[in-house]
Amino acid sequence: MERPLVNSLTFTLAATILSCLLGSINGYALTKIRFRGSNTMFLLFSIGIFLPYQAVLVPLVLTISKLGLYNTIGGLILVHTTYGITITTLLFRNFYGLIPDSLIMAAKTDGAGTWTIYRRIILPLSLLPFVVAAVLQFTSIWNDFLFGVTLARGSEAMPASVALANLKGTTEFNWNVQMAGALWYALPILIIYLLLGKYLIRGYMAGAIKG
Amino acid sequence: MVNITIKNLTKKYGKTAAVKDLNLQIEDKEFFVFLGPSGCGKTTTLFAIAGLIKIDAGEIWIGDELVTSAEKGVHKPPQERGIAMVFQDYAIYPHMTVFDNIAFPLQISNTDKHEIEQRVKKTAELLGISQLLDRKPRQLSGGQRQRVALGRAMVRKPKVFLMDEPLANLDAKLRVQTRTELKKLQLDLGVTTIYVTHDQVEAMTMADRIMVQKDGVAEQIGTPDELYNHPLNLFVAGFIGSPEMNFIDCTLIEEKKELCLDAKEFKVFLPAKMSSELRSYIGAEVIMGIRPEDLYESKSAGRPMQENAFRITLDLIEPIGPYLLLHLKTGNIPLVATVKNTEAKAGQEVIMEIDPSKIHIFNKKTTKAII
Repeated sequence: MERPLVNSLTFTLAATILSCLLGSINGYALTKIRFRGSNTMFLLFSIGIFLPYQAVLVPLVLTISKLGLYNTIGGLILVHTTYGITITTLLFRNFYGLIPDSLIMAAKTDGAGTWTIYRRIILPLSLLPFVVAAVLQFTSIWNDFLFGVTLARGSEAMPASVALANLKGTTEFNWNVQMAGALWYALPILIIYLLLGKYLIRGYMAGAIKG
Repeated sequence: MVNITIKNLTKKYGKTAAVKDLNLQIEDKEFFVFLGPSGCGKTTTLFAIAGLIKIDAGEIWIGDELVTSAEKGVHKPPQERGIAMVFQDYAIYPHMTVFDNIAFPLQISNTDKHEIEQRVKKTAELLGISQLLDRKPRQLSGGQRQRVALGRAMVRKPKVFLMDEPLANLDAKLRVQTRTELKKLQLDLGVTTIYVTHDQVEAMTMADRIMVQKDGVAEQIGTPDELYNHPLNLFVAGFIGSPEMNFIDCTLIEEKKELCLDAKEFKVFLPAKMSSELRSYIGAEVIMGIRPEDLYESKSAGRPMQENAFRITLDLIEPIGPYLLLHLKTGNIPLVATVKNTEAKAGQEVIMEIDPSKIHIFNKKTTKAII
């Protein structure tokens, strides 16, 4: 169980951070930079949220093995980041919609470029959506079984969720081993919620009550 | 010398033009106000000057530098125009302290740290917010936030100030106070300023010159005095002044060899010096405009009626403080007059007099002023 837990922790953290960061940049671009086709782009992102994992499984496995990322942690990071961007983009877009445009215009007249505005204005104001998106992403990536079981069967990249299922024998059940594994598997999520729970609630409430 | 020249500016949103073929010359050190109801294109014009939006036609010059030209494809980014802007919602950065907010434009341009500190402190002192430099915006009152926004604009020593309804979010008392301070500040700094507002009192009190805009078109450009005393059309006449000018549908007739406005319920004989311009309108429908302060209660009650005096019912008296607002009605003509005092009570009939030399006459068809 030790190796799979480390595996899971590695790709979950990496994919969470990447998908949040990219979602944030997307959200910024979609709300604060006017460009042709931004609405279509957003529509496509939204459709992506509803795309079931099973529907893309075969092309996904083919693509990942073509890229030489089958059975690697890198492959899992790529897949989970791509899948996560859709929901994080939606989340950040909605939050950034609440940041007044005049703030961006003020920064522009103050001489800040697109990236400086993102780094100095948008990013420091994004703690709340980052926490919400991170918890959401961490939980869903950590809990994922399907991508793990299809893309990383070997021990070098096997996620904890798959390893936990493998603890179950075909003929006999070692309940004590299974339960111990399950506890270890649940621990990171428990810690995340204990640490970030209050931000999460604040994040859910954001926009509900006038600040 | 920082004058601003706008030539044939047009900006369209979809098919509707927000600003139509605007030509304007703003002088050095002038306090210039764009005045108009919401959706008249005043903010669009301001944003075009700031470089925050692209325009569909025309040119904008700041000083002797061409900053925008739709035809030549010139569009300088806002930071290269030497402008500073104050927004209606202040747009101060909520996560930064007051110091960092004011210092932000200097930090972006990589100014020396020591100089930043000096300039920020000097600006804060000038605006009386030195004691607030370590605070975050949410710990500030509306008036203080407004000063921070002003400070951030001033610290860059811009060539032009652009202000988009900066006082609209302040409460009434603070607005009047800040209005005076802002005007003083502009005089002291001597920076060309463009100020957008929908509040005609703000415009009248602060401006050197005003442009009244409506539906993207400049209705009139002039000093507050010109706009008040010589409005070019019905819109400007109605928009400037509070309470609003009275408008009465009349026919211009000749009676006893004198020109006279016939409003059915009463007649107003015009002074002889007006007659030359009006001769060609005899028999035509016109609109008479008279400001509430140019209507008097006649002192000749009981004696034979004077010329230009008429009986009218007093509907309501509104005491404002320094004067009384009389709501009057005769037939279906409502009139508002401001007087110092009156002995009449609501519901009674009074005799009012019109000062014929203060009358404005508008062409009913074109809404343009004849006199």
